[in-house]
Order: sequence, then structure tokens, then C-alpha cells
Amino acid sequence: MAMGKQLRTALAMTGQYAGLIGFGIFTTFPFIWALSVALSADPSNTWLFPRSFWPTDISLMWFKRVFDDMPFMTYMKNSTWMTLQTIVGVVVLSILAGYPLARLRFPGRNFIFVAILATMMMPTEVAIIPNFITLKHMGLLDTQLGAVIPNLSTAFGIFLMKQAFEAVPQDLVDAARVDGATEMQILWRVMVPVSGPSIASLAIFSLVNAWNDYLWPSIVISSKEKLPLAVGVFNDLTGPFATSYSMVMAAIVMTVIPVLIFFAFTQRYFIGGLDGAVK
Amino acid sequence: MKNSSSYTGIAYLFLAPALILMGIFTFWPVGYNAYLAFNDYSIADGAATWNNFEHFKYIYKEELFHNALKNSLIFLLIVPVIQICALLLAKLVNNKLPGMTFFRAAFYIPVITAISIAGVVWVNVYKYDGILTWFLQALHLIPQGSEGQVDWLGNPAIALFGVMLFTFWRGIGWFMVLYLAGLQAIPKEVEEAAILDGANAFQRFWKITVPMVKPTILLCSLMSTIAAMKILQEVVVLTKGQADTYTALFYVYDQAFRNYNFGRAAAAGLVVTFFCMILAAIQFRFFGEKK
Repeated sequence: MAMGKQLRTALAMTGQYAGLIGFGIFTTFPFIWALSVALSADPSNTWLFPRSFWPTDISLMWFKRVFDDMPFMTYMKNSTWMTLQTIVGVVVLSILAGYPLARLRFPGRNFIFVAILATMMMPTEVAIIPNFITLKHMGLLDTQLGAVIPNLSTAFGIFLMKQAFEAVPQDLVDAARVDGATEMQILWRVMVPVSGPSIASLAIFSLVNAWNDYLWPSIVISSKEKLPLAVGVFNDLTGPFATSYSMVMAAIVMTVIPVLIFFAFTQRYFIGGLDGAVK
Repeated sequence: MKNSSSYTGIAYLFLAPALILMGIFTFWPVGYNAYLAFNDYSIADGAATWNNFEHFKYIYKEELFHNALKNSLIFLLIVPVIQICALLLAKLVNNKLPGMTFFRAAFYIPVITAISIAGVVWVNVYKYDGILTWFLQALHLIPQGSEGQVDWLGNPAIALFGVMLFTFWRGIGWFMVLYLAGLQAIPKEVEEAAILDGANAFQRFWKITVPMVKPTILLCSLMSTIAAMKILQEVVVLTKGQADTYTALFYVYDQAFRNYNFGRAAAAGLVVTFFCMILAAIQFRFFGEKK
């Protein structure tokens, strides 16, 4: 009987790893292929499978070509700047809005909260036309601010911060009130310091979203030198550089790597932060 | 102690920045979109002239829009597939096995990649002599040689499913993590008790896991349905609407930013909003009421 149980456990383990590896291949094969093609000086194996999944003549020449032929660093700088603006905006606005919804009683509170949550269920893509017109009136078309500003106030961020602030013990707030702290002081000196993990995960989410945002910046920004990575690289790869697959793959790898490195260091917060949103 | 009403001022002050921006860029657009749907909007001078139900009458008769709406509805087929797979996958990665962090991260890579960049790779995966063709030929599921080579995104009979597979690839890690959070909230004792009672894995899944993560299933399937109904970026980066992959929101995008017919686009957008609301209501009924 003991043998039978061991065998079953071994079989179950094998089955689980087979599933994990199989699915891991499914989610990563495009990038493994891209990396291998980009690292191969000789492009003749690109369309020979599975041969193309390991590089031949390893060299960084295609990566160098990306820097030389594409304004890659300009895109990178634009993405960095736009992402920074988004993170600061989202975090500050969400903290400010999350606090009263979590801890203060005031007329209209429930209505406002439900209205904010409802935007998560609406197809907000229909907003692209009115937003385009609004930005035109504001003179913000073809500016990076125009690409950033509609993304600053998010239901997700406000909801996440509200959940985090609700979890702060009332004793801390009461103690601060007895000491005569204003609401602003309570928020920044009591609430924010103990909500570090939630704020970190919100910042990480905003970073990934802003860094990867494609559709809206592609509509708003028309000058090539103002484009973020996700739009600029896409335009170049589907346009002038589409002929050299090695270079296309090198550009893709270079675009994905910053996010991957960032994700490797922060995935604990990134995935952990979702718990609060679901529970 | 102050009474609660004395917080009203400060509460609104704190909420103001977020609400003003949300008002301008989220709430106002929904209303303005409805207004635009009944107007002819001139991009040149910003003048809107009332034209009754003309846009609706037009799209009601237009083949292109019918087809776009049909494609969007077909796209909903992805919802149950992605939800069931994500829940099963979450169950799998919820086990404590060596290397699990690595696998979770691998499953999450598509989620954190820009859709445009992922799209460029997948266009090449779908090429007639690309990885998909090779893989299916290696499994002998399609004819060998050039006979079996298909331009997966160029063939109207299958291109929409190609976009769906891409959506599945990008979305499953996201839903997996949401379900994982839901699974981790289930008390260990419940599962252990069921094992003692002799329930098999299948029974435990149906009788314990599914009922306990029901709120997460509702949230995820709602998000997934609305996301499927408003598929747009995937079409923009993969096919540009070629080969019968024109979805309802791609119609909106195309009418607005290629034909500059903002009124007609807004009318189509309103129809999509209406469909989303109906689908959300159905799901609330389906998952919300019966325990």
C-alpha cells in the first residue's frame, strides 16, 4: 500500500511538472525564439524550426544595429519620462481619493465610490473619441502630457488604496487625532507609511501599464521624436525595418528586457498586491 | 471629537483631483459620446450638427458593422475557455513545488509585455512558414510541406481565432493570478476535511474550490467578457481588420481615426456599450443570485 501511495505521488508530481513546463513553453516560446534569432549573426536559420530556437554565431551586432538605425534611446527616454509622470500622478491621486472613501464619513460617499467602481465595468474605449476632441481643445494633441493625463485617475488605484487604508488600525488614527493632527497629517504620517506594500504594488502596476500603453499614445502623439517605446518601436518594426527579421527580434528583445528585469525584482509585490483587490 | 459632517469639506478636497480628472476623461466622454452619436462632427472646426438617428440608421443597414458586431460576439467564445483554463492553472500553481516562483513568473511574462511588441512577434509566429505551421506539421495535424502552410492571420476563415489565441496567451496569466489570490483565501482545513471524507480531486474541485471562489469567478468572467466585447488593440497590432477580423470597436476606431466620421463611430460605440451592459447584467444574474 505504501508503495502504491508513493507511486501515485510520483505520478502526480510528474503530471504537475509536465503541465507547468508545457504551459511555460507556451507563454515564453515567442521570446525565446526572438532572443535566439536576435543573438544569431547568421539569419538563415530564422524560419527553420526547431533549429532557430538556439543561436548560431552568437553576436550582439543586431542589437547594435537597433541603436544605430532606430531612435531607440529617444523612445526609451520618452517612455521613462511618461512613465514617471504616470506613477507619481496615479499614486498621489489614488492616495488622496482612497483616504476619505476608506476612513471619513461624508454625504455622497457611497454614491461616489459606486460611480468610480462602475467605470471598471464600462467599455471606456468609447472615450477615445471624446478624449481626442477634449485634448484638441486643450491644445494637448501631440504632447506627452496628453498621452499621460487621461490615465492618471484610475478606479483600480483608488480602490486598491481604499482597501489598504481600511486595514489600518483605528487606534493609530485616534492617537494622531488626540495629538491634534490634521487629516492631511494623518494621511501622510500615519496612513501612507504603514501602507507601503500596497503603494509599492500600485506604483509597479502603473509602471507596467504606462510603459506598455500602446493605443492611446499612438492616437495622441504624431511626432516621431515624442513617441514612447511601445509605439515607436512598433511603428518602426512594422514599417521600415520589417525586412530584417534579426533586427526586428533584437529590437523586441531590447524592448521587453527592461520590463522583465524590473518584474524579476518586484514580482512579489506585483502579484501580492492583487490579493487586496480580489478579497 | 468632531462629528462626521465636519469631514465633508476635507473629504471632497481630497477627492477633487481624482474626481475632476475622472470627470473630464471618463464620465464626460461617456455622455459626450452619446451626444456625438446623434450629430455630425466636423474635425476641422469642431462644429456638431444634429442629424437625428441617421448614424444609427446607417450602421443598422451596414454590412461592415453587422459583421464587426458578429465578430465581437464570436470573440466571446474566448471567455469560458480562458476562465476555465486560468482557474485550473491557478490550482496547479497553488501547489507548493520547487521552482514554482519561476513558473508563475514565466506565465506572467505575456501580461507585462507591451501588446504592440508581443503583436509583432505573433505576426511572425502566424506566418505561413512560421512556428505554428511547423508545430502543427510536426504533430501531423495539418498536411506536410507547402500544402499545409497557411497564412494564419490572412485566412478569413481562421484569422479571428488567431487573434483569440493571442488574447488567450496574453490574458491567462492575469486571470491566473486573480484566481490564485482567491484560492489562497480558502481555509486549508476545508480541503483537508474533504480528503478525510474520501472526496476525490474532481469532487473537491467542484464541491469546494468552485463554490468558494465564486466571487472571483464573477469578477473575472465579467472583466473577461467586457474585455472580449471591446477587442481593439489586438486587431490593430495583428491584422488591421484584414481577413474578417473587424471587431465592433475596431469599427469605432477605424471610422473615427481613418475616416474621421466621429458621429458614426460614436453611434457604433454606443451600441457596443449597450451590449456590454446587457452582458454584465446576464452575468450578475447567472453568478450573483443562486448560491
